[in-house]
Amino acid sequence: MNDAQAFLGAQSRRNFLGRSLTGLGTLALASLLNPNLLASESLGGLSAFPQFTAKAKRVIFLFMAGGPSQVDLFDPKPKLNLLEGQPIPAELLKNHQQFALIRGTPSLRGSPYRFQPHGKSGIILSELLPHLAKVADELTVIRSMHTETNVHDPAVNFMNCGTLLGDRPTLGAWLSYGLGSENQDLPAYLVLTSGASDGQPLLQSFWGSGFLDSRHAGVPFRNSGAPVLHLANPSGVSPADRRRELDLIQWMNRRQGDALNDPEIASRIAAYEMAFRMQASVPALADLQDEPDAMLQMYGADRSRPSFARNCLLARRLVERGVRFVQLYDRGWDSHTDIDREHRRQCLAADQPAAALITDLKQRGLLEDTLVIWGGEFGRTPVAQVAGKTWGRDHHPHAFTIWMAGGGMKPGVTWGATDDFGYHPVENHVHVHDLHATVLHQMGIDHQRLTFRSQGRDFRLTDVRGKVIKELLA
Amino acid sequence: MAFSLWPASSLVFLLTFCGWLPQAISGAAIDFNREIRPILSDACFPCHGPDASARKAGLRLDLRAVAVQPAESGEVAIRPNQAAQSELVRRIFSEDRDEVMPPRKSHRSISLRQKELLRDWINQGAPYAEHWSFLPPKPAALPAVQRPDWPRNPLDFFTLARMEAEGMSPAPEAAKSTLIRRVTLDLTGLPATISEVRDFLADSSDQAYERVVDRLMATRDYAERRAQDWLDLARYADTRGFSDDTARSIWPYRDWVIRALQRNQPFDQFTIEQLAGDLLPQPTTDQLIATGFHRNAPQAKGQTYPSEEYRLKSVVDRVNTTATVWLGLTMGCAECHDHKFDPISQADFYGTFAIFNQIEHSGEGFAQGGPHLSIPSPEQAKQKAEAQAKLAALQASKALLQTQPGKDALAQSAEAISLEKELAALIKQINQVEKAGIHFPVMRERSIARDTFIHLRGNFLTRGAKVAPGIPGFLRAGDAEAPRNRLDYARWLVSGKNPLVARVVVNRFWQSYFGFGLVRTPGDFGLQGEWPTHPELLDWLASEFVRSGWDMKAVHRLIVSSATYRQSAVRRPEDALRDVQNRWLSSMPRVRLPAEQIRDQALAVSGLLKQTSNPKSFFPPQPSNYWEDRDLPGKWTISAGDELHRKSLFIYWRRMALHPTMELLDAPSRASCTPRRNSANIPTQALVTLNDPIFVEAAKAFAQRILDAGLADDRARMDWAFQTCLSRHPEPAERDQFLAFLERQAKPSPTDLPALWASVATILLNLDETLTRP
Repeated sequence: MNDAQAFLGAQSRRNFLGRSLTGLGTLALASLLNPNLLASESLGGLSAFPQFTAKAKRVIFLFMAGGPSQVDLFDPKPKLNLLEGQPIPAELLKNHQQFALIRGTPSLRGSPYRFQPHGKSGIILSELLPHLAKVADELTVIRSMHTETNVHDPAVNFMNCGTLLGDRPTLGAWLSYGLGSENQDLPAYLVLTSGASDGQPLLQSFWGSGFLDSRHAGVPFRNSGAPVLHLANPSGVSPADRRRELDLIQWMNRRQGDALNDPEIASRIAAYEMAFRMQASVPALADLQDEPDAMLQMYGADRSRPSFARNCLLARRLVERGVRFVQLYDRGWDSHTDIDREHRRQCLAADQPAAALITDLKQRGLLEDTLVIWGGEFGRTPVAQVAGKTWGRDHHPHAFTIWMAGGGMKPGVTWGATDDFGYHPVENHVHVHDLHATVLHQMGIDHQRLTFRSQGRDFRLTDVRGKVIKELLA
Repeated sequence: MAFSLWPASSLVFLLTFCGWLPQAISGAAIDFNREIRPILSDACFPCHGPDASARKAGLRLDLRAVAVQPAESGEVAIRPNQAAQSELVRRIFSEDRDEVMPPRKSHRSISLRQKELLRDWINQGAPYAEHWSFLPPKPAALPAVQRPDWPRNPLDFFTLARMEAEGMSPAPEAAKSTLIRRVTLDLTGLPATISEVRDFLADSSDQAYERVVDRLMATRDYAERRAQDWLDLARYADTRGFSDDTARSIWPYRDWVIRALQRNQPFDQFTIEQLAGDLLPQPTTDQLIATGFHRNAPQAKGQTYPSEEYRLKSVVDRVNTTATVWLGLTMGCAECHDHKFDPISQADFYGTFAIFNQIEHSGEGFAQGGPHLSIPSPEQAKQKAEAQAKLAALQASKALLQTQPGKDALAQSAEAISLEKELAALIKQINQVEKAGIHFPVMRERSIARDTFIHLRGNFLTRGAKVAPGIPGFLRAGDAEAPRNRLDYARWLVSGKNPLVARVVVNRFWQSYFGFGLVRTPGDFGLQGEWPTHPELLDWLASEFVRSGWDMKAVHRLIVSSATYRQSAVRRPEDALRDVQNRWLSSMPRVRLPAEQIRDQALAVSGLLKQTSNPKSFFPPQPSNYWEDRDLPGKWTISAGDELHRKSLFIYWRRMALHPTMELLDAPSRASCTPRRNSANIPTQALVTLNDPIFVEAAKAFAQRILDAGLADDRARMDWAFQTCLSRHPEPAERDQFLAFLERQAKPSPTDLPALWASVATILLNLDETLTRP
């Protein structure tokens, strides 16, 4: 970074208050303490972004951790059913990574579920997704996704940071860095978790900020205790007590700032004020008392019991408040065995809330500028991993399905196609880098321009690749 | 919003006024390294640089000999002294969208001023120069300064000369109370105690400060604080990384680093033992433990990780880490293709790779791993020694028995049988003791060398040409033979002839005191790295370091003894405007304390800190179910007793879910080598120091300590609390505010006092002044 960049970056971000604490600083501090004094523009971010009119202002990424099965949910393969039980055709194994767990030559396994077209668009969905079927016309389904590995954590990293090792910023961190936040009381990037424990850990790299400042890292919402770590005051300390403490801390800090002329002090004063506001705003956000029963029923959520449904409702409340990027991890999709039981369980928990989220966002006029993404780190093999009743499917990176909704995507479209087995894409391939380029584009960012220089190189989310899928833009 | 406070006009005014725009072009000779190469590197080298596969039009501008010859088109990019006839100049000034360079679609651009510089440089004959860091450090004479009374040691001449050239002057020396807080925090990671401050203030001799430095540098705390920086580079963690992230006993390596730093092991030996201790003749246990350095590379383990692919990832990590730590080079850029900026070809990358590719590795699935060393506990070592002594005795009697003539054959054989039995039992016992010891991961060279091939586009399945061990050509001094194995390689690094190593190392030492290095990209001294703020000072320090016999403490002592370091941190408003980033060091930069020091300081101030002799990691309180909620295997069992309050250096370091207090305060996960930590200043950090049970406990203990100090009144208590936390007395206005704070609370009963003072302690522990190295 040269001086000019550093200077401009500092101006547009944390140090905007602090050039001189006498004079400007007082004004700025007053506006910090009273957020209404500030214009409604975003806080932080780089002045160059968005570069063009953004179709979407925020993203909700419903991450189906473990890898949902494309051939059982979105991509029907009659021929696969027809040839069930036959050994996998040799030509499929060209350009194929070794299976993750299957050894030897496995047999083809068709899907036991019925598929039907839905809505005016005729989007085809499996019977496991009856609620999604009702909002089919809002969906943009991509059947030709592919990624680089069949190992869970590198694949999740790839979906988040565009690299196998989780040492780079995640999508949400890039958006926070480029666009800043639209809410001064909440972080720009929040992470919510739910689902069955299946031994696939959630690693801190999944919401990390890599070489970007840690203010851009995702803040995990906790399912028990205070939603954000250390949010609650220690027992015996009331909000009024805390305010009195803060007043003296800030008084001391302002003195220090005036004496030393160090802009970081203004930034610390601001951070402590936001922490104080978060102590009120986060519990209010997580408290669903003000949601009518009918709303909870629509999501299938309980006011207090943690679930994917509750997280979907929280996600709506977060984007309503201007949070830039919300990522929900729903775990339990890694169905190596007994896929029928496991995928039914997962769909039962995930189908209704995802559909409700779309409906709810639409009713509130938020869907048009909120991009919803649903998908896992990879798909599942069209061959069975285990024989017998408790058969399952292995990891499959070569082809899988995701869907998007809202945020300026063309609704009611199915994009890309796979071969007769759902094994490899055969048209309109979409690599993870292409997905990232498209998401950034919808947020008003040219993926080649959002860069950060680290150790001499300009890094970007899409590395040296990525192509916006223009055909899918509304 | 930011700009609503800063009208565009004032910004332009500032940018012009502040004087950081390079000086207007005059007839003065243009410095290729400082002024030209950065433009070429940024804007041109991606397509006209060292990477052969990305090269367009057969043109490379990184080599003068090629740049002045006709390219494929027949045009000549650079005609020395003839800018007007040079294709480069024509193309950069072109207004034709199809012709202009760099092309629009590259999203790179050069400013008018840069264009003019390039033009004028060509008119000056287009002289090239080797990149500064690839040339040996130049032993510089001390520059002349206008205030020769200011410097305290040679390095100050360089900083002062720079300030004077910029029309600035140094800040006055910091107050003594600031100095002792600064140097104690920096050297030991802990705050000065009240008596240490008192002694220093009372010592009016010229050598008072130097005495403090000597005292601090002799402590184990000093070694532990330096170890913290090194462990970030060594990516030291208690777990293997990747998804299962299981534990391993690698803490003896951390202990070794602390011991090596405490006895001030020369950096050349420190290097050789860590990179190749196993290849030294008859290595000691310590030299083997030192090789844990590269066993800190993340190691995948699990059913689904293809073992060869992930073994290679570890090798790549070792190459990249070595390059970052010792060479300040981004070797990793050449894993998939030739380096875009630096003269490192893909073959060069795999040449170094071949050196680190010879380590034993075995197993599939959950058994994946490398060689281990069994380290017995002291008790086990004793048992083993006893058993071995007994074994030797028995073997001697067996030998005697076999040679004894004339004994009854039957008796002899009965005796022999019982001897054999005893022997077998002893060997079994020894084996058991060995098994029970710590299984410490070490480096060990394979007996049969692995062949190394270029991996095309970095893909391990597509093999290119076979590569021999070696180093990048530009680093080979003369016709000296290239290193062939890790030991040669390590010796080559610290031979004193390598232009990079000493510079890279002293630069990080500088960084740990000033927040930034003299080169602000500590992991990149290549063409894209930043130009040093004080090149002559960097070279002088690097030369001193080598000349001193790689004496690390000597360099640290030089830095903290300098007048530069002893300046006040108060910035003059005009300096803050014209030198936004304080590159010219006209005051001491304030540095937010690292995560470990924020916790350790709170424990020290509150009297909770316990230093034990246990070298293993410990488990401070962590939010319940922190691992379980993320489905991470294992259980966090909070340590008991004194263990609970040990220094943060010893916190169990889980790569995939670092202890949240450390993570939130910007400690790196150490999944990879970290040459510089980010340091943010954000709300979730405020919540840590306000509400994290670790800090709540510290505040309560601090309050109790204040109440138990036997002081006359609140005024005295407040003074004592300030001194303990900040190494200074409160100013009158501050004292009044704090006393008013106490009074505002409804008349406390004696039982409320601890809570009231815990509130005061919380305030003190959360001050910017507390959280920042002054």
